[in-house]
Amino acid sequence: MRKSTAFFIFITANLAVMAALYIHSLTAVSKHPVFKKEIKEIAEKLRLTDLVLSTDARYTRHPSQADLFSAFQDFPGSIEHFPTGSVIPPPDFSYMRTEIRIYGN
Amino acid sequence: MIKTENITKDFNKGMRDEVTAVKDVSIEINKGDFAVLKGPSGSGKTTLLSLIGCMSRPTSGRVLVENRDVSRLPERFMTKVRRNTFGFIFQQFHLIKGLTVSDNVMLPLYPTDITPSELRKRAEDILNTLGMSDRKKFQVQKLSGGEQQRTAIARALINNPAIILADEPTAHLDTHLSEEFLSIMRNLQQQGKTIVIATHDPLVYEKEYVNLYIEMRDGMVRGAGRKH
Amino acid sequence: MAINKHKNILDYTLQSLLRRKFKNTGIILVFTFIIFAVSSIILLSYSLKKEAGMLLKYSPEIIVQKILAGRHELISTKIKNEIMGIPGVSKVEPRYWGYYYDSGVRANYTIIGIGVSGIENNRLIKGRMPSANEKNAAAIGREIADARIIKKDIGDSLNLQNSEGRWMEFKIVGIFESDSEILTADLIIISESAFKSLVGMPEDTATDLAVRVANETEIPTAARKIKELFPYSRPILRDEVIRTYDAVFGWRSGLILAMFAGALAAFIILAWDKATGLSAEEKQEIGILKAIGWETSDILEMKFWEGLVISLTSFMCGLILAYLHIFLLDGFLFAPALKGWSVIYPHFNLAPFIDFYQIAILMAITVLPYIASTIIPSWKASITDPDTVMRG
Repeated sequence: MRKSTAFFIFITANLAVMAALYIHSLTAVSKHPVFKKEIKEIAEKLRLTDLVLSTDARYTRHPSQADLFSAFQDFPGSIEHFPTGSVIPPPDFSYMRTEIRIYGN
Repeated sequence: MIKTENITKDFNKGMRDEVTAVKDVSIEINKGDFAVLKGPSGSGKTTLLSLIGCMSRPTSGRVLVENRDVSRLPERFMTKVRRNTFGFIFQQFHLIKGLTVSDNVMLPLYPTDITPSELRKRAEDILNTLGMSDRKKFQVQKLSGGEQQRTAIARALINNPAIILADEPTAHLDTHLSEEFLSIMRNLQQQGKTIVIATHDPLVYEKEYVNLYIEMRDGMVRGAGRKH
Repeated sequence: MAINKHKNILDYTLQSLLRRKFKNTGIILVFTFIIFAVSSIILLSYSLKKEAGMLLKYSPEIIVQKILAGRHELISTKIKNEIMGIPGVSKVEPRYWGYYYDSGVRANYTIIGIGVSGIENNRLIKGRMPSANEKNAAAIGREIADARIIKKDIGDSLNLQNSEGRWMEFKIVGIFESDSEILTADLIIISESAFKSLVGMPEDTATDLAVRVANETEIPTAARKIKELFPYSRPILRDEVIRTYDAVFGWRSGLILAMFAGALAAFIILAWDKATGLSAEEKQEIGILKAIGWETSDILEMKFWEGLVISLTSFMCGLILAYLHIFLLDGFLFAPALKGWSVIYPHFNLAPFIDFYQIAILMAITVLPYIASTIIPSWKASITDPDTVMRG
């Protein structure tokens, strides 16, 4: 077989796998529990605000509810204490325009 | 067949290291000739050979191949003329390492619209006539010098050229292999091809079937003679 | 159409690539790995983002926290009526929640006290939710039920130590099914009154207040009003919550740096090496091809194929592997990073949402530059006169 033919077959096979995965994604998404009304009910009635991605630190368990100023937690350049902090970055509170004013004599 | 009219080739024109490799050369080679360009190294043989073979363009003057001025053709057409008319055999063979003998031989015709089976058949036929058919699956770097030479010849012949140009073909060969090479060339000449060899090897230019001598020195033709 | 010509050139290119098997396989492996890592992150973060967006759409529009000296503090439930008075606010409910450290399994649970849950006959809950006045009933997340050596089931008891050090016994009346794990894996739901006595929370306080605003456009105005009325408060908008999840697996996150630093450096060196020039051997090869009758365009076509073969192969393989990794193998390489020191963590069963836009961008910033970096350096070599090879 010509090498070029083999290459085109390889590319076509890849495309076929990708198409199959795409079909898989469509069916898996449509069947996913995230679309069930029951889970929406749980979120709504229990007034939940965060996903359970990790449970080792408050600011990675409830990123949206984390404190505003605590040391080692919120400042983007802070030294991380918990490993998950490297995956879930501290929330961005820049919209709050917190100012620190220093008054001199 | 090939005619040059007052061709000159300068390298690095306008710079401090400007060199005139070929100066005001007018020669004529006819169909079926066995021509030798002779002269010491640095005399401009290789440059003249590449000008004849459409590998480079003269700074001034004209190169006529079958009465057609090729020296001002755009690259595409020049390549076409080169591919259809000439077969080259280089001093260092210039085979591509890592490829087999038959792949090397087929190389010139890859960028043409030939089918692979046709191409393979042509390569096999040529390798057969050169007694190389048992070597066609070998990688070229594993061959002996003589076999590499024959592979290079086969590659030059794949496009069935009218003119074969060889640059110092015997420089790296012993007497026996040189004789063998010349007899292959002689054979091709008898089949109607035109042979042009640039050399300073007496073994080549003393052959009785060489019928055209062009002697070069310092980029100029010092003498030319025709036998028969 | 000279289709054979192009296939011939591709044939030669592949033949030529096979000659440097080690080098080219190495490039493909590194390239595939980079595509794999980047697209894994793209797939995972997009999927999380979509799920967060879909699930948290139903969470309260505004959460009002009290901030004391920069830290989260219990909020007085007495301000409820004042907030109710703000135009647009339809409901204000106190939330009672916190964390409970279980030294037995060294895990942190999220514990929530509820009034009337209003959840009945939910197929994602096995059993039921504790009712408003039940003192000793609990519904727990699937992962808590499975965390102990002896798995808990409905009817078993769960002992929690209160703020005075006494043990309180709860009967498990409900367990969240695993399909809801992304929200419920570590939850313990007990009644409001049980929560207060467990943690010793003073009367008339709550963890925070959930404010419902019916009209979407009035949310920011309501939040501003709350902030004006109670300067110590911090209103958290639902949009911000959802936006927080956009940042999970951000580009600058440590995980990416760790996975990449090596591979990326190797790849940049390689690309640099390619872009800054051809080896003498490659130059000579181009010279030979030109000398035996290849045109400049043929050589550029060969180089184009070379770049395409390597980059497209790597791109497709990397992308396929990333999909398998994230959605069929549950992101097993990334999971440890998300897990960190967590003892309780959900089994990711992510919905395979695909963001074609990001994938297309990834393709544009990897495949195209690679092809360009293959073609451009050889362009210069291929336009020189073919006779240079005779003089070399």
